[in-house]
Amino acid sequence: MRLFWRQFIFTTLLLWMAAVTSAQDSGSPFRVALTGKYPPMSFYSEEGELTGYDVEVSKEIARRLGRPVEIITTEWAGILAGLQAGRYDAIVGSMAVTPERQEAVLFSEPYYISGAQLFIREEDRSLYSSLEDLNGKAIGAVTGTTYQHTVESEYPEIDVRTYQGDPDIFQDMTAGRIDGFVTDKLVGLYNAKRAGKAFIPAGSLMYDERIAIPVTKDNRQLLDQINDALRTMENDGTLDDLKRKWFGDAATTGADSRQPVRLSTDMVMKRMLAGFARTLFAAGVAIIIGFILAIPFGVALKSAPKGIRGALQFLNDFVRGTPLLVQLLFVYAGAPQLGVALGLPAEAFRLSPMQAGILTLTINAAAFMAEVVRSGLLAVPAGQTTGALALGLSRVQAFRYVVWPQAFRVMIPPLMNSIVALLKDTALLSVISVAEVITEAQKLISITYQPMKFYLFAAVLFFLVAWPLMKASQRLEDRIRKRGYEESA
Amino acid sequence: MLEIVNLTKVYKGGSVGIKDVSVTIPPGPPFAILGTSGAGKTTLLQCLGRFLEPSSGSIRLDGKDIQAISREDFRRGLGIVFQQLNLFPHLPIIENMTLSPRTVYGESSSEADRRAGEMLEQLGIGELADSFPSQISGGQAQRVAIGRALLLEPEYLLLDEPTSALDKNTTESLASMLKDLRTKTTFVFVTHDLPFARMLAEKAVLMKKGRVIAEGAVEEIEKNWAD
Repeated sequence: MRLFWRQFIFTTLLLWMAAVTSAQDSGSPFRVALTGKYPPMSFYSEEGELTGYDVEVSKEIARRLGRPVEIITTEWAGILAGLQAGRYDAIVGSMAVTPERQEAVLFSEPYYISGAQLFIREEDRSLYSSLEDLNGKAIGAVTGTTYQHTVESEYPEIDVRTYQGDPDIFQDMTAGRIDGFVTDKLVGLYNAKRAGKAFIPAGSLMYDERIAIPVTKDNRQLLDQINDALRTMENDGTLDDLKRKWFGDAATTGADSRQPVRLSTDMVMKRMLAGFARTLFAAGVAIIIGFILAIPFGVALKSAPKGIRGALQFLNDFVRGTPLLVQLLFVYAGAPQLGVALGLPAEAFRLSPMQAGILTLTINAAAFMAEVVRSGLLAVPAGQTTGALALGLSRVQAFRYVVWPQAFRVMIPPLMNSIVALLKDTALLSVISVAEVITEAQKLISITYQPMKFYLFAAVLFFLVAWPLMKASQRLEDRIRKRGYEESA
Repeated sequence: MLEIVNLTKVYKGGSVGIKDVSVTIPPGPPFAILGTSGAGKTTLLQCLGRFLEPSSGSIRLDGKDIQAISREDFRRGLGIVFQQLNLFPHLPIIENMTLSPRTVYGESSSEADRRAGEMLEQLGIGELADSFPSQISGGQAQRVAIGRALLLEPEYLLLDEPTSALDKNTTESLASMLKDLRTKTTFVFVTHDLPFARMLAEKAVLMKKGRVIAEGAVEEIEKNWAD
């Protein structure tokens, strides 16, 4: 009998895993990651469409694999971790081949070759002609890029500042906080022109970079398919056409037409508001479910047997004592690995960015609100329960009619604080690429290079919701005070 | 009939709350359980209110062990007004009174309001119906707490140190109000306030160190008080 069950479970597991693995083959989408913030390789067009050289190469490869393409935008800093966690099949994100990366992943043949280039402000032309001239100065690079690592290791006297993307670098260049930046030559030229900035290359290429497509080490089959696709694209001229389309102008023309991109107000409003609607959705779900969970949790924190209470309190302290940012990254990127560690396929715990975001926010909301519930309950004297019981009320009735209404009044101000804090924390979901308002702002900034405008817009949106909440909380407090709680009433 | 039979309560640490206490309180005139602090009055009260489980012995209400009575019936048999009164600060006086009749005993709001209004009139505080507990005096709060308990029409009502927060004048007016109250409820005063007990109660027991050391008319017990 026991043997039967063991076999049954084993077979079921095998079948399930087979189903999961086969789902990755033909018919299932070819999932590709890129940042979407790296024009002209990948970026959002004025119409809000994801486009660029990398995007078109991805589509072309998928077509040749006979699979639909699914493009996932994610932050550069975590893009390799996402590949390892199985969130996508490959990265077509202009990743350079390096020995370190080759230890972790398999690279395809290069699909273009570029190089690292130092850029400076045009007016500094006479000051700097190479990286050596910048010893003791500060320059910028995007976090986690080969540019950052090369300059750091080969030019220790240069202060390398790291940024999320070129728009941030350009801002500090203009402000004079850095005197140069290192990026891909093609990309740098293209971006400077689009942003209307007078940044020029200084000196020759630092080195050539072979840009290729990484897949996980256990996915040699896919690698072969990608290489086949690239080879045919090379042979039939597709790759050359794409290069001409995306780099032709940028590589040849100088910084002559310096008009910043203009977006229609309509489109900006639509994108920002849609992003903010998702922000509010995530916050709303987390707050409502979090509060519902916080009530029993808070009661348990106050009244459960000592051992359980201690364990719950530790759990609660842990959630409240660790950064939400870390929790988000952990749930989003770490959960699939947790599944693997438990012997399940990575799919078992894989969540979409929105799911991971809401889950993390809900846990956070529950933890903070449970603490509020607990201290609210503690503020009600024990005699209130005794008094209610002496009048014949059951424990549940005593809680509902006597203890809870009093505790809730005490809870309102800290509860409102939690809600406002949570609403604001929703902005952090942008790090796991939830298409919320900050993510939308960043996309718009990557087109327009106007960080101040869009971040301010986002801030105003948050404030427009947070402020009435804060005001309502104050008014509610006043009203409660008037209803017989204070002698002065 | 309220019977306390050989009641003993030993706490976890081994300290004795009450030892072998037996008291019979017939329905009718007010009764007093007297004793200074540490006599075991609070322990006895907690047992009578089913807030503490006795170690041995039993409490019977009309022949029935109180542990065997349903919650609703029990609270209508034996009411308690604690020393702290425990008025509900978030509810106006009238709702303090009617909460239990409405939620526990299913009385309609209008009927409960009517009875509570009458009760407040009888207690001489009819004008306080819509006030909140924080807005009334100590003596008024005492009346509200008693009225709230009386609204359930219990057979017995235990009053825990009813005069502890009151001055001499308020104590006297409370005593005269209780004397004039038309009610079927039998009052049991648990107190160290001998003059107050003398004003109201006919019979009493005297407790000391967890035991009953005297029983009888209040005047007789007074003689044992000093020892």
